[in-house]
Amino acid sequence: MADVARPVSLADQIGLVAKLRWRILLNGLRRKNNVSDLIGMIFVSLFGAILVIGPAFAFYFAGYSLVSERRMQWLPLPFWGVFVFWQVFPIFAVGFGTGFEFKTLLRFPFSAGAFYLIGLAYGFSDFPAVASVTWLLVMMAGAAVANVSLLPIMLVVVLLFILLNVTVERLIGSWLERLLARRRTRELFFGLFILTMFSLQFISQAQGRYMKKGSAAGVLRVMKYLAPFPPSLSARALTGAIRHDFTDIALGLLGITAFVALFTALLWQRFAAQYRGEELSETAAPSAVRVRAAPSSRLASGGQAAVRIPHTAAEDQRVALSKFVPPILGAMVSKEFSYLIRNGFAFFLLVLPPVQILLFSSRLSGKHAIFGGRGLNADLLFPAMMAYTILVMVGPAYNAFAYEGRGIQTYFTAPVTFADILKSKNILSVAMIAVEVVICGAVLSWHLGLPSVPTLFATAFGLIFTVVAQLPIANWASLNFPRKLQFGSMRSQRNSGAAIWIMFGMQIVIGGISTLVLLGARWTGNPWLPTEAFAFLVAAAFAGYFASLPALSEFAEKQKEVLMEALCR
Amino acid sequence: MTDVAIRTEKLTRRFGNLVAVDGIDLQVTAGQFFGFLGPNGAGKSTTIKMLTGLLSPSGGRVELLGLDFAAHPVEVKRQIGVVPEGMGLFERLTGTDYLRFVGRMYGLDQATTDQRATELLEFMQLADRPKTMIADYSHGMQKKLALAAAVIHGPRILFLDEPFEGVDALAAGALKALLGRMTERGVTIFLTSHVMEIVERLCSHVAIINKGRLVANGSLEELRAGIPGDEGNKVTLEQIFLSIVGQHGTESQVDELSWLT
Repeated sequence: MADVARPVSLADQIGLVAKLRWRILLNGLRRKNNVSDLIGMIFVSLFGAILVIGPAFAFYFAGYSLVSERRMQWLPLPFWGVFVFWQVFPIFAVGFGTGFEFKTLLRFPFSAGAFYLIGLAYGFSDFPAVASVTWLLVMMAGAAVANVSLLPIMLVVVLLFILLNVTVERLIGSWLERLLARRRTRELFFGLFILTMFSLQFISQAQGRYMKKGSAAGVLRVMKYLAPFPPSLSARALTGAIRHDFTDIALGLLGITAFVALFTALLWQRFAAQYRGEELSETAAPSAVRVRAAPSSRLASGGQAAVRIPHTAAEDQRVALSKFVPPILGAMVSKEFSYLIRNGFAFFLLVLPPVQILLFSSRLSGKHAIFGGRGLNADLLFPAMMAYTILVMVGPAYNAFAYEGRGIQTYFTAPVTFADILKSKNILSVAMIAVEVVICGAVLSWHLGLPSVPTLFATAFGLIFTVVAQLPIANWASLNFPRKLQFGSMRSQRNSGAAIWIMFGMQIVIGGISTLVLLGARWTGNPWLPTEAFAFLVAAAFAGYFASLPALSEFAEKQKEVLMEALCR
Repeated sequence: MTDVAIRTEKLTRRFGNLVAVDGIDLQVTAGQFFGFLGPNGAGKSTTIKMLTGLLSPSGGRVELLGLDFAAHPVEVKRQIGVVPEGMGLFERLTGTDYLRFVGRMYGLDQATTDQRATELLEFMQLADRPKTMIADYSHGMQKKLALAAAVIHGPRILFLDEPFEGVDALAAGALKALLGRMTERGVTIFLTSHVMEIVERLCSHVAIINKGRLVANGSLEELRAGIPGDEGNKVTLEQIFLSIVGQHGTESQVDELSWLT
């Protein structure tokens, strides 16, 4: 009979989990033996510290000045700032991936209460929580320096406010986790999220139009409507303390306590469901097995004796090229297209450039001119906007195998050379860029009109040169610095740092060459010179591209372990 | 035409200071159902990866169907099928998409690919969900699809890394029947598995690798002959395996865990 462990106290359980997290952090650091990763971590830490310390000064002075100058109408603002940051930042930072699963601790004999408290405690270990708590404490210090008698009530308010925030943050997190457990929902949310972020770009225009005057009065007017919510209630309790108005103190404290109770009940409900073993797996429910003695297909139409196998390759004389497209190229392009239409992010990438072009062109031309009261004309804006489209669209080519996952193994077991694979991927990338360029060109023509004929031709050749010249380097970067990306996820969804720097470097080089060409045209006064120069560069770029393929194919063989290690995780 | 399907000479793979596969000389005759066994970390997967082009050897050579793999990779790959560790599936394709893709990558024409994909999906009982993406398949379904993809072009050698792991008994029975028929037709099957009963039932020849070195190689009868067994009872493959690679978790070691028992 195995020993039965003695009951572990709640404090011990929480302590054990804290030690576990600390050990995970240390082990994580030990694995990061890559110098660039370490440097990156140091930079991130410094940046994080600046992000906390900088606003901390602002919060201190806000607490001090608002209390000492008795500008109580503005007291809700810092509370709202903390509240919004604490609730919204985790969604940005964590994205739609999964973090450390504290639910994995469920296999241990935790009570529901311990599970709830540990879940809540996890909420304090994230960056927004640390930053927000720091700011609240600093604000409390500022207010206490201005009026020391406020310290007790401020302490109560801040503690309640912290409890409320961590509870709400965990509640939102647990609901997001539940909603986003399924891949399709995750992708839908991802699309909505990106579109929301993008639509914020239009706010500055709306602001300029509708909020030119009386913005302070406008903010105060909005504050009135926000009075029943926790940040405003916290400020109300403080205001009551400053004015010795016990009704305000009581209403403020009762209100925020009621919110804490409400969200605690809701969070308890969620955590209780998790404690009972809520299933969030996205694996499809197994369908009823069709019981049959043996498969009834033509491949095997009965018992073992009837099993028929496919023809062997040697016997099969029907292995042949398709009429129009080589089979490997056809298969690859077809597969790439399937991936494209099933990838919400890639689809979004297609929608983004035309909308951005519309946005930028309306800012930089016509009525909303910013350059000396005049808008930029089509001859300047058209090539610039087209170049921008290429900039946006060419990024994925620098991490071309990002979404292959374990499928990358198929490329190495199939009887193909990597030159064919790279060619197929490049063909689809170029096709996508071409479609986008045509759409963006149409949008610009509709909005600005067409540029002059020499500019149009120069732009066309310039674009072809820009894309084709980048492909060999993009292919090399894809093989050398692969990074796995997840469909419908935002966490760590970027190309490797090296690939990003290489892309920028290439674009600077190509931008420099293009600038030289354009300056040459201006110097000689020949409007057709850019067209001629870019046509020559296009020919050189194509020659370089085809010359690079065999070398890249050999390089891929050498890189197969790197590729599989990065993509098959 | 040679009757040796797989031949390795001094096949070696190092990872830094670790020698994962240490100079293996292996020969598998065409049409054999060959089991490749070893404890965890012995070098099984590393070997199969080198045999299928997924990993470059640090030394030695691989020859499949008389062709040097390093010199003729495309010609060799055209004649082999692989179910690798991790299965190598494109998870954003449907089962049909994937089989069509693989068929075309092996140079089959469209009509043949479509016909074989349909037959294989039906055989593997995966035809019910034509629009389901592989990402939404269960582990067993993915395994069956990987196996279907490995045979769609009619390979002459089939490499299977743990092919029955996660496959239900019904499908496993049908797969064993299929593989049996393939060897009857002269297809060589190279299989790794941790399930001794499966290897014992299917394979005619077995090799055992331990700490990167080949420690046994031969037909089941040859291996049995080297192990003393109880009178009247046939020595099982598990007994052979344990006697060769050493026993872990034996009675005496279990006794040390007295607090557990």
